[in-house]
Amino acid sequence: MMTTRILEWLGRIYVWLLLAFLYLPIIIMALMSFNASPFYQLPFEWTTDWYASLWQNDQLISATWNSLKIAVITTIICVVLGTTASLALFRYEFRGKKLLQALLFPPIAIPWLITGTAMLIFFFGVGIGRGLFAILLGHVALALPYVIVVVSARLQTFAPELEEAARSLGANQWQVTNRVTLPWIMPGVIAGGLFAFAVSFDQFVVSYFLSTPGQTTLPVEIYAAIRKGFTPEINAVSTIIIVVSMALMLLTARFFKFGGEK
Amino acid sequence: MAEGAAASRGGLGKALPLLAPAYLWLTVAIFLPLSAMVFFSFMTDLPLTGKPWAFTLGNYAAFFSQSLYLTLLLASLRLGLEVTLWCVVIGYPAAYVLAKVLKGRSREAIFLLVILPFWSNGLVRIFSWAMVLREGGILDAALNAVLPFKINIDLMYSYPAVIIGLVHSYVPYMVLTCYLTLQAIDDSLIEAGRSLGASRLQVLKRVIIPLSMPGLVAGAALIFVPVVGSFMEPRILGGRTGTFYGTVIEDQFVAVFNWPLGAALSFILLAVVLVILAVASPVLRRAA
Amino acid sequence: MAGVTVSNVSRSFGAHKALDDVSIDFADGGFYALLGPSGSGKTTLLRQIAGFDFPDTGRISIGGESVERVPVEKRRIGMVFQNYALFPNMSVADNVAFGLSVRGEAKTVIATEVQRALDLVQLGKLGGRKPHQLSGGQRQRVALARAIVTKPRVLLLDEPLGALDKALRVDMQIELKRIQREIGITTIFVTHDQEEALTMSDRIGILRDGRLVQEGPPEEIYDRPKSEFAATFLGDANIFRGDATGNGIRLADGTAIAAGVGDRLAAGAKASCAVRPERIRIATDAGTTDSNINTLKGQVSKRIFAGNNSTYFVDRAGQTLKVIVQNTGADLLAEGQDVVLRWSPESTVLIAAG
Repeated sequence: MMTTRILEWLGRIYVWLLLAFLYLPIIIMALMSFNASPFYQLPFEWTTDWYASLWQNDQLISATWNSLKIAVITTIICVVLGTTASLALFRYEFRGKKLLQALLFPPIAIPWLITGTAMLIFFFGVGIGRGLFAILLGHVALALPYVIVVVSARLQTFAPELEEAARSLGANQWQVTNRVTLPWIMPGVIAGGLFAFAVSFDQFVVSYFLSTPGQTTLPVEIYAAIRKGFTPEINAVSTIIIVVSMALMLLTARFFKFGGEK
Repeated sequence: MAEGAAASRGGLGKALPLLAPAYLWLTVAIFLPLSAMVFFSFMTDLPLTGKPWAFTLGNYAAFFSQSLYLTLLLASLRLGLEVTLWCVVIGYPAAYVLAKVLKGRSREAIFLLVILPFWSNGLVRIFSWAMVLREGGILDAALNAVLPFKINIDLMYSYPAVIIGLVHSYVPYMVLTCYLTLQAIDDSLIEAGRSLGASRLQVLKRVIIPLSMPGLVAGAALIFVPVVGSFMEPRILGGRTGTFYGTVIEDQFVAVFNWPLGAALSFILLAVVLVILAVASPVLRRAA
Repeated sequence: MAGVTVSNVSRSFGAHKALDDVSIDFADGGFYALLGPSGSGKTTLLRQIAGFDFPDTGRISIGGESVERVPVEKRRIGMVFQNYALFPNMSVADNVAFGLSVRGEAKTVIATEVQRALDLVQLGKLGGRKPHQLSGGQRQRVALARAIVTKPRVLLLDEPLGALDKALRVDMQIELKRIQREIGITTIFVTHDQEEALTMSDRIGILRDGRLVQEGPPEEIYDRPKSEFAATFLGDANIFRGDATGNGIRLADGTAIAAGVGDRLAAGAKASCAVRPERIRIATDAGTTDSNINTLKGQVSKRIFAGNNSTYFVDRAGQTLKVIVQNTGADLLAEGQDVVLRWSPESTVLIAAG
């Protein structure tokens, strides 16, 4: 009994150590973004200058706008296309359905380096070229499978008799979807949308290969800045990004419990 | 009586209009590009640049004739293996504690905290290690404040830095997949093992680990595959020592502009990835 | 309101014939039960009438209008599902209002109609609740109110009481029948519970392997089953098999059994006789020897006391017969006792083999 207790406490301590490992660098980066010394020297002196100077950095501002625009459009497209596809996969039985479902996994499983370079080659070859439109094309393709998987998981908890009941009461296909099915799967749709936003907003690899100077996103801009040399400005903008993306995922978790909705 | 329900749905005809937009998009942006990559990898030059081009096996010959590429691929595979092992060593015990020791709300909260960074920006998280690992950075300062003698910790731009950054990036995956299989193991199985006279270690070795194998394999595949193809992490944390297979591919596209060679190298990586996924898939399917 | 006619309807799923040339007439305002074991095609038939699925061949008409290719949402039917299928995201009132609302009825009309329907099922005060706040019986009533508020031409019920416990089920049977009488709607309901079918319906259709075995009023099917299956599926029956003798059969051991019910059969054909357990009298003595009465000797092998009646299992020449006797205070027979069984030819149904 005693040893069990001790082992359990050791386990708890271990988990907290892991959390420290996961969060300490991020916390330190955030602190440094408020430190006056541009060379990260201690002692710590509070300042918000680096955030203020972000506002003067037109390149970062425009890249941020691009990132936001692309993430929002990606989210909208993915939610619409992903939800309709999930509904079709849920409602109808047909040959090749298993194959279509299996096809969702290559975009998730293949490293982004490979998909990114492949997109670069193909978009160049067919004349789409690089730039924001190419980035949008890529982001939607990367996020779409996640949305379909999340919405489909929610649909698994939906009773098909509800659609039949609605039809028996005279509702047409649109009314059935709109008034019965969509309200039920809405938490899944919202979670899927937040996923899509996160995948797009945080996407670096694919954007990196598809961007051109001027037509770029925030992570690509940050990567370029890092390779030029560290500055506290990068800390500041990175801190903003990490806070935004963690907040997004917390929000997602509220709508969609990992491992199934209760 | 289920036959009626199944039949009244029915029809590719009805499903197709709803599926077409999503799958057309995936085709244009994923499947056609992957095919194009294979196609281009057999060319001497891009047919668009106006320069003459021809079909060739030269790009693949380059891979096999120049030991550099093979060496780098092996280095990347080794990197993937090391990172995966560290993730198992660090992640599995944490998953076990989460699944079997913690209960209720604290379990939920800590689980969320563990997987939360995974969904935040990877580039920024890698960058945050630069603050910690550099000479005069936090780790250096902290150790010198505690230790009586002066040491210089400068892990930045080294192989260990790359390992630390990648493990930090991917360990939540291992915790997630292992947690999901571990929590599905009925506690009574563990009690049954103990009641039959097995020690804690024996129960772990003969009951818990075999039952959570699908989670371990899934986690390993999900970590190994992207690590082998990583290029941003080695660039930022590895500096000059951070030349791996992924960075060479990146160079072909953004620095050297030898796209056909880059395509060939990418395709070889894809082949390696597919083999790994194929090997892992029987275990994964059993889990699903 | 309208009658429903199903003519020569067949439906296959792959190699499986779910419905095989089924014809049945549901008269206007009647209460019909479709009875059968699982896999008999009763639900498939209901779904054909509803319009969830279309027949391969054959015709279905509602109120004289041919509907076999009309989808469910245009058929103007009302349906109650096995698990109620209440919309979880809507209140009780919104559930009931759904059918009127998708037709674009005015809000005031909807409110009045919904209240009337909820009053009819005695849930007038619960309109604001969500389905998960209701008991099983209440959900059942909401499902019923929702199905009838649109004034459908026909009401279809798919094992509507299957999810309720026994006491509640009996209450709901009475309630359902009351509401059906009140609005006079043609009602077709699917069940595998023979007691439910007997007590509730005006007519019963028995299905087996996709075919309609027999159709008629409950008393007729009970008293004059046309097949061994109908005899044993609806109620209990002792079955004797032998060779037809015109108005009875001769068993393998030569015993003759006279039958007063059922079509006469050509002598020598294989045939059976069915006798209900409660029609057989059981006694310890030979009693009067009326040659008209069927008489068999046997031995009690088991007795089951069930309060108002007792069931005796009587062994005779390798066959176990079942006899049900009302408990009137007379002495019960002991297991192992030799007995004589008697029953009249009027209680014996002659059935052609097959």
